[in-house]
Amino acid sequence: MNAGTATGVSAGTATGVSAGAGLRNAFAAEWTKVWSLRSTWWSLAISMGLMVVIAFSVGQSVVDDNTNAQRGDDQGIVSVSGTAIGTVDLIQFVPIALAILVMTGEYASGTIRPTFTWVPPRGRVLTAKALVVASVVVPLGVLLGVAGTAAAGFALGDWGRFTWADAMSDILAFALYLGLICVFVLGLATLLRSTAGTLTTAFLGLMALPMLLTGPAVSRPLAESLPSSAGRTFMGIAEDAPYRGSIGLAVLVAWTAAAMLFGRFSLVRRDA
Amino acid sequence: MITMRDLTKRFGERTAVDGLTLDIASGKVTGFLGPNGAGKSTTMRMVLGLDRPSAGTALVNGRPFAELRHPLREVGALLDAKAVHPGRSVRAHLLAAARSNGLPGRRVDEVLDLVGLEAVARRRAGTLSLGMGQRLGIAGALLGDPAVLMFDEPVNGLDPDGVLWMRRLMRSLAAEGRTVFVSSHLMSEMQLTADRLVVIGRGRLLADAPMAEVVASGTRVRVRSPRARELAARLTSAGLDVAIGPDDELTVSDASAEQVGTLAHEAGVPLFELTARQRSLEEAYMELTSTSVEFGVAEPRVEVRA
Repeated sequence: MNAGTATGVSAGTATGVSAGAGLRNAFAAEWTKVWSLRSTWWSLAISMGLMVVIAFSVGQSVVDDNTNAQRGDDQGIVSVSGTAIGTVDLIQFVPIALAILVMTGEYASGTIRPTFTWVPPRGRVLTAKALVVASVVVPLGVLLGVAGTAAAGFALGDWGRFTWADAMSDILAFALYLGLICVFVLGLATLLRSTAGTLTTAFLGLMALPMLLTGPAVSRPLAESLPSSAGRTFMGIAEDAPYRGSIGLAVLVAWTAAAMLFGRFSLVRRDA
Repeated sequence: MITMRDLTKRFGERTAVDGLTLDIASGKVTGFLGPNGAGKSTTMRMVLGLDRPSAGTALVNGRPFAELRHPLREVGALLDAKAVHPGRSVRAHLLAAARSNGLPGRRVDEVLDLVGLEAVARRRAGTLSLGMGQRLGIAGALLGDPAVLMFDEPVNGLDPDGVLWMRRLMRSLAAEGRTVFVSSHLMSEMQLTADRLVVIGRGRLLADAPMAEVVASGTRVRVRSPRARELAARLTSAGLDVAIGPDDELTVSDASAEQVGTLAHEAGVPLFELTARQRSLEEAYMELTSTSVEFGVAEPRVEVRA
């Protein structure tokens, strides 16, 4: 209770810094924020556990199909890392939830206003958040890919085909996809501002919509150019890929860039 | 130093802040008063660049807030003490703030010590009491050692000890030459803390004057006399505003005891009581804001926005 010695130093004024330093500071703040929440650690643990369980059970069911009496369901020898990253449809939603919370958690708790008084250029806040999401999710994707490949390999045994080159490219593509899709969803979250709304939209857009649109021939091209379909093509796990993997990557990058642009536009325009 | 020029904010049809022109000077505590929905919070949010003004400008140290390189080193603000992620620790919250402005981590420990929260630094913000949350908000405002401080209802939820602490803190911040701009509903508290008052009603400026002036302008004199009606006539003819209460008790507005006593003596009227009473800030405030309703453009209504 010593208000007399309240602030010590005399009133300060700012010294000029470059925009690069500004982004570095904003990144450091967002990095501190994301690691100081338990939900981050939980999502890492949950995604890891989920990957191991699902990759193992998918591998196991391949073995079962190959060894049961029915011949029609035999899949033969399958790629171990391909089996692991094929679980992406489910696994992705854990890091996606993390990416959503990076933005919507701020609106839910009201911290978005302090955040903007710490870093007034809102585009810089969004860029810092995107970099933090990518910095967390891409390495996580590598770890998930490695763990999933190990689990799938363990289950597949002799029915698995493993080469270091395949595993490397599969795991890196998987990590890159996760990073891009999470930044895409971060842009979506910036537009929608609500956790439940963004999660629902992401689920419908990434899971339900491609399935619905892929049926009728007329909407098929549309289904094939949605972000999750483009991602599957890029990772080489799409059935009857309609275009090359590199085009899949380009489509995914375009979606991500568009979501970030719209998100940024809305963030700058609307009152916090 | 905070400068507002014709600052205006419209939400659709409703004008929340209507052409405010103000200079909030350094070295003083400026109290910001007004009824709920008068536009206090919106004004503060526009100064901080959170709401975009519909017209006019708000500058801090001569520049728009958004252009400040290290805003925390120039402006410290407490708008909503609850605006902390409940799952984040007290220390991590402040550390993120410090890093965003390139401030050293030790500054976090300094401000925690300053507001008396060092013991709960590792606790999650969601577990703090209202008073502790308020102190955390104040710690955040002081983090960058800024020359300008803005507090929205800072004594909300503080116990009497905390209220006293807050009052001393604001006084000492102003004494160090800083600009302290503080909104409150608590008139008695403002009367003890503020040097200058800004009163708004329905987004319009009602008063911008030194505290002493606002309070003194309403001095009243109470008079009891056996010949009250005769005295009332005499005082009225002298140009004073006299009200006759029950038991013929007179209340003379905007007059001094000397004036009334001298006039009574000249009239030869005996006095049983002559009491000068300074108007409280609360009374002054009620008069100011009731006028705003009286001369308002629309009929009184309930406003939802805080």
